[in-house]
Amino acid sequence: MTELLLAEFDGPEALARAVRAFGGARIPGLDAHTPYSTEVVRDALGLPESRLSPWVFGGGVIGAAGAYALEWFLVAHLYPLNVGGRPPHFPLGFVPIAFEMGVLLAAFAGFFGSLAAGRLVKLWDPVFECEGFESASQDGFWLRLGGEALVRAAPDVEGRLRELGARRVQRVEASA
Amino acid sequence: MTAAAPRAEEARLADAVLGPVWRGGRFFAPAFALTGLGTIVFFLLISYTVVRGIGVWGNNIPAAWAFAIVNFVFWIGIGHAGTFISAILYLFEQRWRSSVNRFAEAMTLFAVAQAALFPVLHLGRPWFAYWLFPYPATMAVWPQVKSPLPWDAAAVSTYGTVSLLFFYLGLLPDLAAVRDAAPERWRRRVYGVFALGFRGSEATWRHYRRAYLLLAGLATPLVLSVHSVVSSDFAVGLTPGWHSTIFPPYFVAGAIFSGLAMVLTLLIPARRAFHFEDIVTRADIDRCAKLLLVTGLCVDYGYLVEYFLAWYSGDPAEIGQFFDARPRGPNAALFYLMVLGNVLAPQALWSARLRKNLWLLFVISLLVNVGMWSERFVIVVMSLEREFLSAAWADYAPTYVDFGILAGSFCCFLLLFLGFLRFLPSVALSEVKEARHAGARGRGGE
Repeated sequence: MTELLLAEFDGPEALARAVRAFGGARIPGLDAHTPYSTEVVRDALGLPESRLSPWVFGGGVIGAAGAYALEWFLVAHLYPLNVGGRPPHFPLGFVPIAFEMGVLLAAFAGFFGSLAAGRLVKLWDPVFECEGFESASQDGFWLRLGGEALVRAAPDVEGRLRELGARRVQRVEASA
Repeated sequence: MTAAAPRAEEARLADAVLGPVWRGGRFFAPAFALTGLGTIVFFLLISYTVVRGIGVWGNNIPAAWAFAIVNFVFWIGIGHAGTFISAILYLFEQRWRSSVNRFAEAMTLFAVAQAALFPVLHLGRPWFAYWLFPYPATMAVWPQVKSPLPWDAAAVSTYGTVSLLFFYLGLLPDLAAVRDAAPERWRRRVYGVFALGFRGSEATWRHYRRAYLLLAGLATPLVLSVHSVVSSDFAVGLTPGWHSTIFPPYFVAGAIFSGLAMVLTLLIPARRAFHFEDIVTRADIDRCAKLLLVTGLCVDYGYLVEYFLAWYSGDPAEIGQFFDARPRGPNAALFYLMVLGNVLAPQALWSARLRKNLWLLFVISLLVNVGMWSERFVIVVMSLEREFLSAAWADYAPTYVDFGILAGSFCCFLLLFLGFLRFLPSVALSEVKEARHAGARGRGGE
């Protein structure tokens, strides 16, 4: 059976101090849960920047290039039709749809990429079993210690957390 | 300051924003009933149109485009302020946007939903609307992608989809807040499913923030491209009054102008009804009013250039359209409504004292809405009523079905907006908290 230890703090500054005290995100199993994204906690954790951007760029390029190729295939290759003297392959006229499809696929990549990378669409998580964890989306700032972070933090982790200003410390089972 | 003080303040803020979700309000039942009734009439008239054909509308040669296209351009224009406020002001780090962006984004979605209906109905045989998309057709006739009409299909569907993704992504932390604060188990379950298990983990936030920034960056060119594409429906045609290179920027400015007016129309009563005075401050409304004035001046500049180009072209059809048909033609009243709403009324916003008067601001926003609908009528219908050959001139008269569908679309829009106010947090709670925290840190000199 594995365990998680969750500690609630009153504000982002107190949480950031606790995060630093336990080694930041370099230690596997340490994370913070906050009602809004804050710079102090972000800096204390020291997580690397998200690498979503290349995926979004790739989505945009595939969308735009795919749409342009489809336009060419349909109206220049399969059914070339002279409308208003415009040539069958008319790059200027092909741009708007290629642009829109580029934006659409880039947006899909960004949205679904953030859900996948942020480990969302997972309706249950052990933290939901913790009493009072509802405050993580309201006004509570929570430190999560599990795995190696919890092993390194022992012994007397609860005492250290209370010294750092935790108003509530709870253990929950991490195994689903 | 003790830690308890900001916690108490955040609890008050959450109660103010989530209160309508738990408790509703006295006015919801009559408002839902009224707009619901209007929406039923709307769908009955749509059904009548689909069964009988668009002959039940007033449009006929030469005014083959009329109310349906006017309504389409009007609603898609309304939808522009949401993305403008959400995306562009986000990129410019305008923190005040967090108090109004959720209203504006919801308004965008519901306006685009109304807009998308009209071109489909205008097809006459809406069940063939899928011909606009390149599905694998056995008849091998493909959409003509060199025409602006398929551009429209691509632009509007992309705009609607990206706006929905942006809205939903912004809503996730607040859906989690509703899930966690819900008093009943069934609400926790329903909102829990839509919150997608959002736990506020920093491992989630870092991707979330990046995705939100990238979506804002992607939505920004859409604001400019969608109405540019819509304007191409007209500008590519040779009709006097349509064939002008000023159209794309002029349409984009008009769209943002009308959208901001609709934001104020909805925001001012909602702010009062829900007691959001502390969240949507007078200063926020003042900024919206200033933006309304600036975009209004851009639209006025568009009018001036349009008139100048018509005069400078020396083309009798263009000159006749602008200097005779519009001010003295059969629908001149709408031309003067346009001038009143879009040129004269916003000038009151130069005065800081008048901007503080919310009643006046509400009336001005209504006048701008009326003015912008009239502008679209002036462009679409008046241009077609008076084309090159005077022998082909004819007047346009809408039918009761046209008026009913227009009024019904407003009811349907308001019904959807009421649903949003009743069931979702109408202010971006996590963003407001973040902005307040950043503000407090800034004041603390940290």
